[in-house]
Amino acid sequence: MTIDWRTYQAADLYDELVLPSGRARSGTGKLVQAFAKLSDDELVERKAAAKLAIRSMGITFSVYHEGTNIDREWPFDIVPRLIMKREWDEIARGLKQRVRALNAFIDDVYHHRRSLRDGVVPEDYVLKSREYRSRCAGIDPPYGVWSNVCGSDLVRDADGSLYVLEDNLRVPSGVSYMLENRAVMKRIFPELFEHYAIHPVDDYPSELAACLRSLSPRDVRSPRIVVLTPGIYNSAYFEHAYLALEMAAELVEGSDLVVADDDCVYMRTISGLERVDVIYRRIDDLFLDPRAFRKDTMLGVPGLVRAWQAGNVALANAPGCGVADDKVIYTYVPDMIRYFLGEEPILANVPSYRCAEKDHRDFVLDNLQDLVVKPANESGGYGMLIGPQSTRRQRDEFVRVIRANPRNYIGQPTLKLSTAPTIAGNTVEPRHLDLRPFILSGKDIYVTTGGLTRVAMRKGSIVVNSSQGGGSKDTWVVEPATLVDP
Amino acid sequence: MTVNVLSRVAERVYWLGRYLERAESTARLITVNGNLIMDLPVRLPLGWRPLIDITGSGDLFESLYGKGHASERNVCRFLATDTRNPGSIINSIIGLRDNARTVRENMPRITFEYINELYLFARSALVPGQSRSRRGEALTQISRLAQQLEGFLSQNMLHDAHWELLRLGNYIERADMTTRIIDVRTVDLIAGHHELEPFQDIQWRSVLRSFYAMQAYHASVREPVDPPLVLHFLFKDERLPRSYLRCLNSVRRSLRELPRNGDAVDACDDALTALRETDVARLGGMEQSVALHQFINDCQIHLSGLHDAIVSTYFE
Repeated sequence: MTIDWRTYQAADLYDELVLPSGRARSGTGKLVQAFAKLSDDELVERKAAAKLAIRSMGITFSVYHEGTNIDREWPFDIVPRLIMKREWDEIARGLKQRVRALNAFIDDVYHHRRSLRDGVVPEDYVLKSREYRSRCAGIDPPYGVWSNVCGSDLVRDADGSLYVLEDNLRVPSGVSYMLENRAVMKRIFPELFEHYAIHPVDDYPSELAACLRSLSPRDVRSPRIVVLTPGIYNSAYFEHAYLALEMAAELVEGSDLVVADDDCVYMRTISGLERVDVIYRRIDDLFLDPRAFRKDTMLGVPGLVRAWQAGNVALANAPGCGVADDKVIYTYVPDMIRYFLGEEPILANVPSYRCAEKDHRDFVLDNLQDLVVKPANESGGYGMLIGPQSTRRQRDEFVRVIRANPRNYIGQPTLKLSTAPTIAGNTVEPRHLDLRPFILSGKDIYVTTGGLTRVAMRKGSIVVNSSQGGGSKDTWVVEPATLVDP
Repeated sequence: MTVNVLSRVAERVYWLGRYLERAESTARLITVNGNLIMDLPVRLPLGWRPLIDITGSGDLFESLYGKGHASERNVCRFLATDTRNPGSIINSIIGLRDNARTVRENMPRITFEYINELYLFARSALVPGQSRSRRGEALTQISRLAQQLEGFLSQNMLHDAHWELLRLGNYIERADMTTRIIDVRTVDLIAGHHELEPFQDIQWRSVLRSFYAMQAYHASVREPVDPPLVLHFLFKDERLPRSYLRCLNSVRRSLRELPRNGDAVDACDDALTALRETDVARLGGMEQSVALHQFINDCQIHLSGLHDAIVSTYFE
């Protein structure tokens, strides 16, 4: 049977493409029709073509499994997710606003602490954050920007309202999959690109390279940019190699770099030492430099932080930027926007309860079965409690950990994440998803057109992380006015 | 040379070249030896032990299998599938794959897939204790896949510094293997196992076959198979791709394309001078076995000096 949208069940949820009546949402009609026209065989064929493309393009991510790393092929769904250009422009404005405020906040934390003194964010939360780095105080990264590459996660609730779920300010990943997803779609559905005016995403590597170049401490025509990776066993190694290649930057590991007596960073090459100007580091702060942070790191470069402090090399993102990437600090972002920019937030936060505050904590503890509880500093969906899907024992455990360390937890209502049609067998079913756009800040500020749409491939699941069974979709920002009839 | 190469990447590419050559030549060695043995009477002392000596792993072999246990089964297992032997085919292919994984971006995209196919094939086709015919098929296929890979890289990889480093690995390993094959076979021959004399011709032919060079010998030398001529051919014929001279010249050519090549070129020239000043044909006589062995020993010392110069210049 071919896809029959009348049987598509997305009732009591917000679906990105299809209305509860089974009719296409405004602007998505052409796409919905195109899929309905595909026969079973065609659908299977296109799906197989996508799989083949992913294999031959070598798009993988690594999973650490039973003591060895396995390169898994990237799970990809062939039905794209659509966002209307007008809505996207507003979102992009909101993201820029947010990242400007976040960077202003981080810069303030490491300088005058005006916002802490004025009580915008409680000083205690900031200075006791696991991500606060005292030795970064007083440092001036170019343009006052600490998080040059930010990946913010957006979700939509059942009523259609959009929220920022979190801001990944440290080493966000996923952008290479956004780019590859588009390349795969062009290969397997070239005809769809004739009917829609889809905004391109391919400019990201050049924008990233321009952003990194703008950070160079030396005023040279082509500063030397490197991507610092933890190595082939990192789950995002594919992305590190991909971005390095696309930017014509060197992909380096810690052992390739050396800080000389002049406090400059060099890479070891067959021609001898070569000066490095900008390091796009994909290693966590703590592992960057055994002399500055964790002494046992095998991934870092001794003296790197000293070279950075001396202003001889740019680090993107700047060490210490994670202080604002903390789920408790997150709850203050709307206040930061008002305080630093004097503007009203364009994008909303998910309503959140801070367990460190007694009335909030009591509410969370009394309503665990309805809430999502998140630790302040985990990523990848780890260490969370999803109330409605939890067992009694799990909730009891969270009562214990919240009481033991209330500063470390926030509670949020369980959102009914929006869905989009996703191939399951030879039909389509709704699957929950989110969206991670990437924001680049250097001399200029840039937002990807759309971003990476992550999908929970298992029915009913709201966990979209690739390490936990998530997949992805191509994300189309389209202009309905330019729709062309087939 | 416009693109600079990270020392770490350079080292991986160099070893990729060495492992590729090692896997191929070891597979070839086992095959040729198997064919030789079928031509010799069972009572003769010559057996599988020389292969252990060629690969310079006598001590390791004895510690794993015991003294005097150089049976066909043990030697083949040790050289092909034994992961405890760092020089086994399977370990060479694992090394090849590991190195290729980290330098994926410096080669045509499909390269890693080919290497992975070679790995998967070796894993499934090489089984300890398999029949001669099965083993022969597997080894021939491995040798063929490895040669295809070399050909593919030569025809499709950008001939930049990465390429030259890969060639350095190829040729140094090849030069090393060439001298080892000559050493063990000829010393064995020259050392006058008198009962072997009637089979000398067969043995020399097998030496030439180890290099796929039987036809080449006839075409180039135009004389019957004769030890002094064979030695001269294998050491000094520039037209034979696996000759020692050709390997050194190729190393030198690649070094000339790389920066800071002074020490390594000097080391290479030392090896070339030693070769030029030696009348290798004269070492083919029965009474010259010790001198030949000594000369080959010197060759290997030169090769290891060359390797060290490359390591200290480029990888450290």
